[in-house]
Amino acid sequence: MSWNKMGKYLKPIVPLGIIFILFAAFYSPFHKWAREHVDYITATNDHPLKCTSCHLYMQKSGIIYRMLNAKYYSPFNLALSDNGQYLYVVAEEGNALLMVDFARQKVIRKTAVGTRPHTVILDKEGKRAYVSNQWSDNVSVIDLKSFSVVDTLNTGNGPAGMALSSDGKYLYVVNSFSSDISVIDLTTGTEEKRLAAGNNPTGAGITPDGKRLFVTSRRTLSAPYDDALRCELTVISDSDRRVSERKNIESAYMMENIAFTPSGDLALFPLIRPKNNLPTIQVERGWMMTEGIGLVEMKPGGRTIQLLLDEPNAYYSDPFDIAVTPDGKRAFVSHGGVDRISVLDLDSVRKIMTESSDDVLKIYSDYLGISSRFVIKRIPTGANPKGLVISPDGKLLYAAEHLEDRIAVISTDSLCTVKTINLGGPRRITVARHGRRLLNNAGHTFQDQYSCYTCHPDVHEDGLVYNMASKDMGRNVTNTQSLRNIGDTPPYKWNGKNQTIYKQDGMRFSTVLTRTEAFSYKELDAIVSYIMTGVPNPPDLLYNPNGKLTEAQKRGKEIFERTHDMMGHEIPVVNRCVTCHPPPYFTNRQPADVGTLAATDDSILFDTPHLNNIFASPPYLHDGRAKTLEEIWTLYGKTEQHGSVNDLTKIQLNDLVEYLKSLRDPAYDHQKAEIHQASLGHH
Amino acid sequence: MKSKHIYFAVGLSLLSLSSVLFYSCGSKTLANGTLLATEVPGNLKFNNFPADDPHSHLSGSRIIAFIPGSKRPSRVLTEDFYSACFPSVSYDGAFILFAGQREKDGPWQIWEMELENLKSREISSGVENCTDPAYLPDERLVFSKKIQNDNVKTALCLFTCKRDGSDLRQITFGPATNISTTVLRDGRLLTITRQLLPGAGDAMISVMRPDGTKADVFYMGERGTLPLGRVTETTEGKIIFTETDNSGLPGGSVVAINYNRPLHTRVNLTSGTSGRFYFALPLGKNIYLASWRNSDTDNFALYSFDESKKSLGEILLSDPGFNIIDVVPAGKHERQRRLPSEVDMEVRTGLLLCQNINFINPLTPVSGDEIHEATKIEVMGIDTTYGVIPVENDGSFYLKVMADTPFRIRILDKNDNMVNQPCSWLWLRPNERRGCVGCHDDPELVPFNEVPIAVKKAPVIVPVHITEIKEKIVELE
Repeated sequence: MSWNKMGKYLKPIVPLGIIFILFAAFYSPFHKWAREHVDYITATNDHPLKCTSCHLYMQKSGIIYRMLNAKYYSPFNLALSDNGQYLYVVAEEGNALLMVDFARQKVIRKTAVGTRPHTVILDKEGKRAYVSNQWSDNVSVIDLKSFSVVDTLNTGNGPAGMALSSDGKYLYVVNSFSSDISVIDLTTGTEEKRLAAGNNPTGAGITPDGKRLFVTSRRTLSAPYDDALRCELTVISDSDRRVSERKNIESAYMMENIAFTPSGDLALFPLIRPKNNLPTIQVERGWMMTEGIGLVEMKPGGRTIQLLLDEPNAYYSDPFDIAVTPDGKRAFVSHGGVDRISVLDLDSVRKIMTESSDDVLKIYSDYLGISSRFVIKRIPTGANPKGLVISPDGKLLYAAEHLEDRIAVISTDSLCTVKTINLGGPRRITVARHGRRLLNNAGHTFQDQYSCYTCHPDVHEDGLVYNMASKDMGRNVTNTQSLRNIGDTPPYKWNGKNQTIYKQDGMRFSTVLTRTEAFSYKELDAIVSYIMTGVPNPPDLLYNPNGKLTEAQKRGKEIFERTHDMMGHEIPVVNRCVTCHPPPYFTNRQPADVGTLAATDDSILFDTPHLNNIFASPPYLHDGRAKTLEEIWTLYGKTEQHGSVNDLTKIQLNDLVEYLKSLRDPAYDHQKAEIHQASLGHH
Repeated sequence: MKSKHIYFAVGLSLLSLSSVLFYSCGSKTLANGTLLATEVPGNLKFNNFPADDPHSHLSGSRIIAFIPGSKRPSRVLTEDFYSACFPSVSYDGAFILFAGQREKDGPWQIWEMELENLKSREISSGVENCTDPAYLPDERLVFSKKIQNDNVKTALCLFTCKRDGSDLRQITFGPATNISTTVLRDGRLLTITRQLLPGAGDAMISVMRPDGTKADVFYMGERGTLPLGRVTETTEGKIIFTETDNSGLPGGSVVAINYNRPLHTRVNLTSGTSGRFYFALPLGKNIYLASWRNSDTDNFALYSFDESKKSLGEILLSDPGFNIIDVVPAGKHERQRRLPSEVDMEVRTGLLLCQNINFINPLTPVSGDEIHEATKIEVMGIDTTYGVIPVENDGSFYLKVMADTPFRIRILDKNDNMVNQPCSWLWLRPNERRGCVGCHDDPELVPFNEVPIAVKKAPVIVPVHITEIKEKIVELE
């Protein structure tokens, strides 16, 4: 063979050989580095070396993000036309109202509304629909004939549940973020008054006699750890539109919605009874969370009681909506955490209430066996059932399968799903969507007792302080932290021991919290992908709607960034606000001692929390001791360890607090235009 | 009714079809659908599971493989053993665990057999009897083993180990017989427990995590009854087992309880049926394979049983001279949940919190003269007292107890009079933390959302004469 011929063969062989040698030389050190890198990220030593897990599925924007993710509708709440022919579906993520023709079983019309729509109600004539836009602070008024937005009504912050006054002249809008109720005069389209509600109200319902409006709350009224929980059920007189009563629902929270029996003898609302005051030492025997319903006897002097929907060894987490059949015999409760709808026999409930003493009824609120007397079936549904509505003839129940992009149609006779209506969203389930389903599902907690959503509703936090007794009981109580937009602010937990979300939600999570089999690595990848990419903060429309600070906020910003105190003395760097809380997330991600260590805390430093949307996360400090931002300094900042503030006047402290309340997700600085995109502005 | 027959026929057909591999071409592989049964020779005697020899009535037993409805003869899998019983099938269907006795007077040990070649290897060792093995979801197994020591005197405790027999860990520590362990789909263990001290108590079904933590009562029958044999969980959430009456005869009725409410949902599936049942394996809706005999002079044979009609169907297997007392399907099956463990063997203690010993449940009221306010508790060992401890004003107490040591608690009033009978035996695993609402509380009652005063202080060390325990400091999570 000539050299020329050999050279012909050698030409490709030589570079291939070089590549092989280089590969052989670099493979081992690269593999070692990759293993160490993945081990650090996941805090395990056997997570698959799959670069895509992080480097593809955690992209927050760009082409890859758009390719790998999808826009879902996420049906949330429903309304039904009087003739039962059309179903109006709030698409929470689709920012739209969908009109479903039941006969054709498909979406026939769609109209854009505001951001994160929450609830839809129809007027009595069936001519108009009102859609509350929780992230736009307004209500879209939709003409059902043209199926277009004809008006937009301004509301308070975070409009959620709604109800029309008995004469149809007023629209009550429950403002979930500002915790009040807008009373809107529909003849003028303006807000007549605003009534104070409970904490984080969402559900609203007018009694069948049209005399009273009941508004449910999700968060408890402010109470320090070790105090009894109270969640407000606000009652408003429809005639004068004033608050007539504030009922404290004890030891409960997350009262998402409310319904009445047609005869008006009972008001019913789902609730959760948390056990945050107990050390989290076990899940068995309902030691962490229980779920139930609240009932108000509507007769004068009627009792308010609670009955558990759970059973021994089986829990039905995250009850959301409740609907009652026209004959008042049955009620249905959707459980977002277990993909089930509980069917309640209301005559059995009435019998329990009639024959039981107050003492016994009180025990029933903590008695797992009671549900066997009135829950007659648990109907399986698609992922994360939310809003419910019953057909006018009472024969069909519609359930919004929130994370399935479907509506389940259930026979109230056979108590089985007779059909499902696909809303036409993306068919594929993305990794982040899978993660969202996991976060909302209690299947990865022992006996389904609670999901991530339970303590982190709306991927935020529930406002409670827990005794996460991973060590001695009664020590190291911790304030629940929001999961919104935390991807770039590691480490996690108040003690900063978890360097990544992988570690936070990995094996330790199952050992000390969920107490059942840990997430598989595929599931963990999905959860992390969702948290890293899909959980934005709502816009701060209350304190910073457009990025322009008020004069008070500007003064507060100067204080926040100051280097010298009011006397002209230089403030040590470690005592300046901005040192530990630099933008854009307002955390330096370092541990610090801010003088808040309690006698019941181990001697540790606390992770510096991020501050965007901090106004929405009371209580404050690691153990929730500060009810307000002010209290951080007025009650618990007497030393200078948590920033130099003791030279400030009350007004100056107010300014600082106003500035803190204006801190919002940096993404909104680039999206100003989008926030009100769908808002038309009244008239 | 017709559909029931169809259901049963289809079930059996599927079993038969899928087990063709078993007998075709002389292959020794057991395919899915084959059933494994325990047969016991002679006249079966009643046994109330004494700790020293719980399986004396199983002498000469053997494990057979068979296809229900097939004309092919059954095959003995344990010809090398004098006695062998209660097989547990691995999740991949390739192996079985069983309790076996090589020689007549030899100890029972745990063996694992590879079904492809029927070769067995001994997993447990020693001179004490080991019985009733079951695979755990984490490549371990659980079984009962007789132990004798000062802590429990003589007891049949549960142990776990790896499949090669290494890393042996005791997980129950009460003076009790623990047998017939089953793994629930939620990952916990069900075991038939009979307290032995201070006197022999009634048997019940206990539940615990596979590390022995959170042990609790799951089901308790009427006085004098005894759960018997293998406990089976169905995919519909039913727990099926046999329960004896107090006649002193082997076998009894087939009972179902709900996983969701085990203490209050007992249903006798065979009420009104003559004869006695020893075991029932759920096969389909209302259909069971059941070992049954009509009279004391008959042997237990295998039948189909239709619960809805309360009637026995055709005889599926009978072996002259043998009683069929247990059946389990061969083949792959779903793994149960793999539970994490809080046990840390470098920690020497566990923590116990009680919310209120004076809590009176209005659902189970006591007569007025029985109500005394308790102010103290006494923690008692088997032969000694570990100390008397005052409770807090809210009735709470918080103890740090030496781990893996059985104890009982009785509550006392201010004059040291006993307010209530001592509770059942408890133990805490190293680093375990447990809570209860009150003494003798209703297991269906959940705790009240109140911070017990007791946890605002350091736990009381038990035994109380110990003032300090040097142990690993558990890091804050």
